[in-house]
Amino acid sequence: MSDVQPRIEVKDLVVRYGDAVAVDNVNFSIAPGELVTLLGPSGCGKTTTLRAIAGLENPSSGSIRLNGQTVWSGTERRNVPAEKRGVSMVFQSYAIWPHMTVFENVAYGLRVRKAPQSEIKASVARVLEMVQMQAYADRPSSNLSGGQQQRVAVARAIAFSPNVLLFDEPLSNLDAKLRAEMRVELRELQRRLDITSLYVTHDQEEALAISDRVIVMNKGKIEQIGSPEELYNRPVSLFVADFVGAANMIQGQVKGTAPDGSLLFEATGGITLEVEAPPAGGGGSVVALRSSYIHLTPMPETHNAVPGTIHRRMFHGDFIQYVVDWPAGQLIVRRPPTEYYAEGSGVTVSFLPEHCILL
Amino acid sequence: MWIAPLLLLVCGVLVLYPLVYLVTESFNIGDAQTFPPDEYGIGNYIELFEEPKVILNTLWVACLATVLAVLFGFIQAWILTRTAIPGRARLERLMQLPYYMTPLIGALSWGVLLGPKTGLLNQVWHSIGFTSDFFNIYTPWGIAWVMALFEGTVAFVMIAASMKSMDPSLEESSRVLGASKLRTALKITLPMVAPGVLSATIFVFAEMLGSFAAAFVLGIPGRFFVVTTAIWEATLSFPPDYGRAAAMGLSLSGAMVLTLGAAKFIMRKGSYATISGKAFRPRPMEVGAIRWLLMAISWGYIVVAVVLPLMALTLTSFERFATVIVSQMRFTFANYETAMAMGSLAPAFANSLLLGIVVATIGVPTIGVLAWIIYRSRMPGRGAMEFLIMIPQAVPRLVFGLGLLWAWINIPIPIYGTLWLLGIAYFTVFMPLGLRTIAGVVMQVDKSLEECARVCGAAWTYQMRTITLPLLRPGLVAAWLLIFIASVRELGVSVFLMGPNSKVVAPAIVNSWLSSSSELSAAMALMQTVMVFIAVAILFRVARRVEGDVV
Repeated sequence: MSDVQPRIEVKDLVVRYGDAVAVDNVNFSIAPGELVTLLGPSGCGKTTTLRAIAGLENPSSGSIRLNGQTVWSGTERRNVPAEKRGVSMVFQSYAIWPHMTVFENVAYGLRVRKAPQSEIKASVARVLEMVQMQAYADRPSSNLSGGQQQRVAVARAIAFSPNVLLFDEPLSNLDAKLRAEMRVELRELQRRLDITSLYVTHDQEEALAISDRVIVMNKGKIEQIGSPEELYNRPVSLFVADFVGAANMIQGQVKGTAPDGSLLFEATGGITLEVEAPPAGGGGSVVALRSSYIHLTPMPETHNAVPGTIHRRMFHGDFIQYVVDWPAGQLIVRRPPTEYYAEGSGVTVSFLPEHCILL
Repeated sequence: MWIAPLLLLVCGVLVLYPLVYLVTESFNIGDAQTFPPDEYGIGNYIELFEEPKVILNTLWVACLATVLAVLFGFIQAWILTRTAIPGRARLERLMQLPYYMTPLIGALSWGVLLGPKTGLLNQVWHSIGFTSDFFNIYTPWGIAWVMALFEGTVAFVMIAASMKSMDPSLEESSRVLGASKLRTALKITLPMVAPGVLSATIFVFAEMLGSFAAAFVLGIPGRFFVVTTAIWEATLSFPPDYGRAAAMGLSLSGAMVLTLGAAKFIMRKGSYATISGKAFRPRPMEVGAIRWLLMAISWGYIVVAVVLPLMALTLTSFERFATVIVSQMRFTFANYETAMAMGSLAPAFANSLLLGIVVATIGVPTIGVLAWIIYRSRMPGRGAMEFLIMIPQAVPRLVFGLGLLWAWINIPIPIYGTLWLLGIAYFTVFMPLGLRTIAGVVMQVDKSLEECARVCGAAWTYQMRTITLPLLRPGLVAAWLLIFIASVRELGVSVFLMGPNSKVVAPAIVNSWLSSSSELSAAMALMQTVMVFIAVAILFRVARRVEGDVV
């Protein structure tokens, strides 16, 4: 990746509102064709970062480069206005102009660029077909449904072939089922157009599902950058472990080393677990354990096998969520719907040392 | 962006310059005619309390009118938002009409209807056998009655809004939990609506303190003075007592600002969940047979506030002599001919039209740019700018007119007594109206609609032309019409600034009424009302179109 010129490069970016620091020294770069997500709770600075890249927010210091061109730099006193940056954006509110037809909405970016009439027609038709809205071209845009507005907003964003596409929580206003469908479609479209994209969301499931890489942000700072698998399996901080995926946090302390090299962790309640050594070395006092990586069996196992009792069972359809009483308190466990235990029945809880992330 | 500081400077001077004069003059205890004053002191303010009758009168009329107006507004709001009477939607639209009747027209027409002995309704009263009058309109009660009919719509709009924005599930959950209808009304509905009613009460009261026309038309003949008419009287005395007038005016403004501040405070403190931004349409109550009674009450207000006065004016305007007995009426077009022919009257109409068009046409783009800067840009000092522009709203127009008069007499530019001065004055006092109207639309337009245009590659001017202005157009048109209407019917500022060569309609009507020609006044009042109603009709059409395609 290092030999390819990154499409987006953000260096030491700081955005202040008065005394409050919304974005605090953020650094990342995005390679051509990549889809990277900024993930974090509301107020973590992800949207501000995105808007600063679009040119809608004025940073306080740092620099932003698009396609190797500096579009904002505090030291060079450079600020390329939003309309000259060649990026495109899908807004959370869709921002469909109510006084124009669907066609005019989509054609806007091309008209601004003074494209010939024939090209406008062809391009608009092409992108409307991509989002399956060709039948609506001549409709006024004021009474489209949420999903349709979303499609028009995407069509408008890609119509003028921008270098970079920015998404500001584009799916947050849709209902759950539509959101899941659009997620697939957006990823399909992004792959097909091979367009570099930066996507903002607070929905960790969405972030994991569509991204090549995810940037987890908290309080204006980056917590971790990595592939969805890395974030899920190797969170580097308590925040990431807690925010991404469902995790149990087990308190305790490191007690020594097992014969096979893994660490021994004494959890509250007097049980000893085998855990992986943290990548950075150094031992913490918390083990993060994903709910999906815990097995429930009627009989004892060898590694990290602890007796427990099913406290509560919640059937979710695609999985069952158990609350299991065990010596160190309670564990949240997710099992496939085929693994069915009655509340109150005794089970053995077990998991592999490599799934115990010491933080 | 050099234009923003320039506009700010101009508007700031327009607003503050007259106020500085007003404040200075109020402390002038020397010769009222010299400026700057020879002697300063607070004598003018002390004098106010030496003769408290005027203050008591003002409070008395304001209280009467407020109680009546809130009663009218509350009943109408309840009928039109909570009960299932036939023709509700139409009635709700018609409820705006009384506001456009103006207190001046109301006072003139009720003078015709209920003047002692000669009033049309009083004559009907005599003809069915009574010897005394049914009601004498030239009393504090009469002033309160006319003002209440006018302010009733204001109270209606505010109270109806609080009733509409109430989530019906709040009442439903009370019923489900076992409370009776009455208990629900007392324990849930009333507390929810109370802040709306209270703030309407205070708002109407504050407006009443500064009202001039009705007290002028109906109070002066009986030597009944309120603060505004006392200010007018002080400037007419010889030599004119500008110092006392200014002190009275500023005290009045202070009282209004305090009351309005209280209203705002109550709105914020007590708004509970009623203001959620969502518009609920509470399920209207089925009221059975009394719906016809409620409908009659609702129509009754429109008839009494609009239809009856206009009929009285129409009848009078076609009479040769207004004071004759019903059976001896002689009808003529002469009043309209006079209105159009009499040396000073035709130009008054032309001037008012011209002023309305010019002030609205210059005002809308100017205020539009200011509104955009205040509510959209990140320019420092936006808050101060908004405050500055809204100042004229806190000063009764008559008082502001006084300040303008004093300020522009003392400037070496010879524009006193010309239309230029009236134009500048109208622009200054209507800035708050324009800003409020345009701000309403600016804030409705989602910011991302503009940002999206920028990201799509549009430069600022292109974005303004293709996105912002088209989206704002309905609001700008509405603001134009509202400023036009306000200009055409302006009285408070005009009475001070009108010169022999720059007559405008409303003061001309007052003058003709003072020279006791009520037929001629009626004809002119009707012509003014027609001008206003044509503009209102266009306004309603525009407003309906806006509702159709708002985001």
